[in-house]
Amino acid sequence: MAEATVIKPDLDFVKGVIASGGESLKKCYQCATCSVVCNVTPDNNPFPRKEMVWAQWGLSDKFKGNPDVWLCHQCNDCTAYCPRGAKPGEVLGAIRKQSIQQYSVPGFMSGLVNSKIFFPIIFLIPALILLAVSGFSSIPEGEIKFIKLFSVEAIQFTFTPALIFGFAIGILGLMKFWKDMKQTGGVTSGNLTGSIVETAKEFLGHSRFKDCTVSRDRFLSHFLVVYGFVFLGIATAIGVLYIDFMHVESPFSLGHPVKLFGNIGAIALLLGVLLMIANRFKNAAKVGKGSYFDWLLIFIIFTIAVSGILAEVTRLADKAVLAYPIYFVHLVFVFSLFIYLPYSKLAHIFYRATAICFAKYSGREKPLKTSN
Amino acid sequence: MAEKKKVLVIGGGFSGLTAAVETAEAGFDAVIVEKTPFLGGRVTQLNKYFPKLCPPNCGLEINFKRIKNNTDIAFHTLAEVESISGQEGNYNVTIKLNPRFINDKCVGCNACTEVCPVQMPNEFNFGMDNTKAAYITHNQAFPFKYVIDGKHCKGKSCAKCVEACKYDAINLDMKPETVNLNVGAVVLATGWDLYDVTKLDNLGAGKIKNVITNMQMERLASPNGPTSGKILRPSDGKEAKNIAFVQCAGSRDENHLPYCSYICCMASLKQATYLREQYPDSKVRIFYIDIRTPGRYEQFYWKVKEDPNVTLTKGKVAKITEDASTGDVEVTVEDVLAGRKITEKYDMVVLAAGMVPSTKASRIPGEISYTHDGFVVPSYLKKGMFAVGTLKSPVDVAKSVQDATGVAIKTIQSARRSG
Repeated sequence: MAEATVIKPDLDFVKGVIASGGESLKKCYQCATCSVVCNVTPDNNPFPRKEMVWAQWGLSDKFKGNPDVWLCHQCNDCTAYCPRGAKPGEVLGAIRKQSIQQYSVPGFMSGLVNSKIFFPIIFLIPALILLAVSGFSSIPEGEIKFIKLFSVEAIQFTFTPALIFGFAIGILGLMKFWKDMKQTGGVTSGNLTGSIVETAKEFLGHSRFKDCTVSRDRFLSHFLVVYGFVFLGIATAIGVLYIDFMHVESPFSLGHPVKLFGNIGAIALLLGVLLMIANRFKNAAKVGKGSYFDWLLIFIIFTIAVSGILAEVTRLADKAVLAYPIYFVHLVFVFSLFIYLPYSKLAHIFYRATAICFAKYSGREKPLKTSN
Repeated sequence: MAEKKKVLVIGGGFSGLTAAVETAEAGFDAVIVEKTPFLGGRVTQLNKYFPKLCPPNCGLEINFKRIKNNTDIAFHTLAEVESISGQEGNYNVTIKLNPRFINDKCVGCNACTEVCPVQMPNEFNFGMDNTKAAYITHNQAFPFKYVIDGKHCKGKSCAKCVEACKYDAINLDMKPETVNLNVGAVVLATGWDLYDVTKLDNLGAGKIKNVITNMQMERLASPNGPTSGKILRPSDGKEAKNIAFVQCAGSRDENHLPYCSYICCMASLKQATYLREQYPDSKVRIFYIDIRTPGRYEQFYWKVKEDPNVTLTKGKVAKITEDASTGDVEVTVEDVLAGRKITEKYDMVVLAAGMVPSTKASRIPGEISYTHDGFVVPSYLKKGMFAVGTLKSPVDVAKSVQDATGVAIKTIQSARRSG
């Protein structure tokens, strides 16, 4: 006789998913249209149909060490074809939020960052910290130099630890996630180096986005944002090199490599994030309007891009009254991006990469040819 | 006693026929207005129908006989209602009679069809073959009187049929006429259309030759259909021995028909038996969200399920492609219970398309309100107006007939109340 399976629904998990943009969850009637129209799911145990029933029933344990919710790129083909308006794309997004909360310690931070109630507070705290560090008294006189507001030391003293903190928590989370995935999947060995290389290649070319049908245009926007950040990162690295080792004082001239990389990066970032916003409005009827979790990250990136560009423009226009406050806002949002990195939607850089890597490592997706 | 009140029945399908016959046999005059050249409606296109799985004629013939024998029933074919005004007991109705071009002298000898040079898509067979512009839909059609399609006929410049007809039955000069009627009550029985499956862009219909609808399958299996009842696939006429049925093709889908069409599960199970009886080595796989076999029909489901060559798989087909070299059809679905996405090849695929009330596309004139999906809600109808069968909700023939009988009594009450 078959043993009885007692299901213990985790109602808080269900409520969490519903509150995070998955309010359509209960509409699903398990027809599996979603799994078929999805171009990024593996054929064996495809998603997102099974995730929909697990989430409906509150089987939160099933999501522990489950790479599938992260293999989903929210193309939203599933949502467009869903006969019930259950919006699997949005629901999986909400589950990912729960997953971040589960793996990025401390768990409450994710709840804090992604809760509407704390919207102004999560930026107010970094603002106060930065205000204290800068020792601000009045808008500096004379030629506009942002180092008058924030010395290079002050920047490095606050932003470097913030970034290290963000990455440390993220890496800690992904290691835990990896361990859980191995345990859940019963995977003991695989080609780790090869999987990492393949994952990196896929990421650099954004190849998976091209499998989306309904929201294909997300490829370009995401590509621009990612490479915008890459260019800005390079600009920062070169900047540090010039300032710390060659003792050149900022601001750099417009023809300087730092400015060149920085400005290209800024424009790419702005274009990318504007496209993201436009796509969300354009596809809202078909795929849903997006959750707070989603919009928060867009808001942060948008503010960074706009404030960064405006700070530069107002500086060049010699409008001190505008330039310094705008620059301050810019710093607040960059700082927020760093410290909230493992808790906001941006944490997907850790978990999605890990899940894709695991899918290759475990053979969940097309196995790697070499197995050294 | 005042003059006998007339009852108008719009639609000459099974529901309309029943409503008219029952009303007339209770002593009231009934007038049937039918848009097509023949009575019998959708049922005439079926191979077999529930609950007894007999051919259409076993139910229709008796009704045609009741009409023929009853002087209280009049019917107009090729007729459309143009306006309805007034109220219970006093509805004024304008009816346009389109020309048939063939009069009552027709004996059904087929001579006109033989000489007619014009080929046109055969609507009765859902475009699976052609017919002549002078035609009759099938050998049991009622009235058994040929018809000339006014849109396709070349008219008097051709007139080969006029020469060929030995009975002086053809008159290409016939013009549309208008008839005015005063009736006490109106029965709306305009029936249903099949959902336009070309809207299902992921299911390949309209583009892939060997993806057909359930109604096309009825015609293929029907002895008076395009293949004389042999189930042959459209692309190459090969015997279709491995068929997949795709349930809920449009139904239960808020992007298409946000309701269950009620009959499609039964239709597919029934059509599975057509194939299994015709080819002993045939295989059928039915893909479904839920198999819905209301009431006593459950037993039919069990019976079909017992056949080892019939497989029922939970999972909605959401992708269909064509193997261009063989004409085979590839179906992709998640086998939900196995948790696997599978792609399988079939000789032919049948889309279990849903029912759309005919009033979705063509409204009946008069103050009638409709739901978003085109259905008629009885409680919103004016006094003296009654809707029957599939106009209110998707329903099978048996239930439509019961409904029509019930509506007949209401119609009689209405006519008496106002008379």
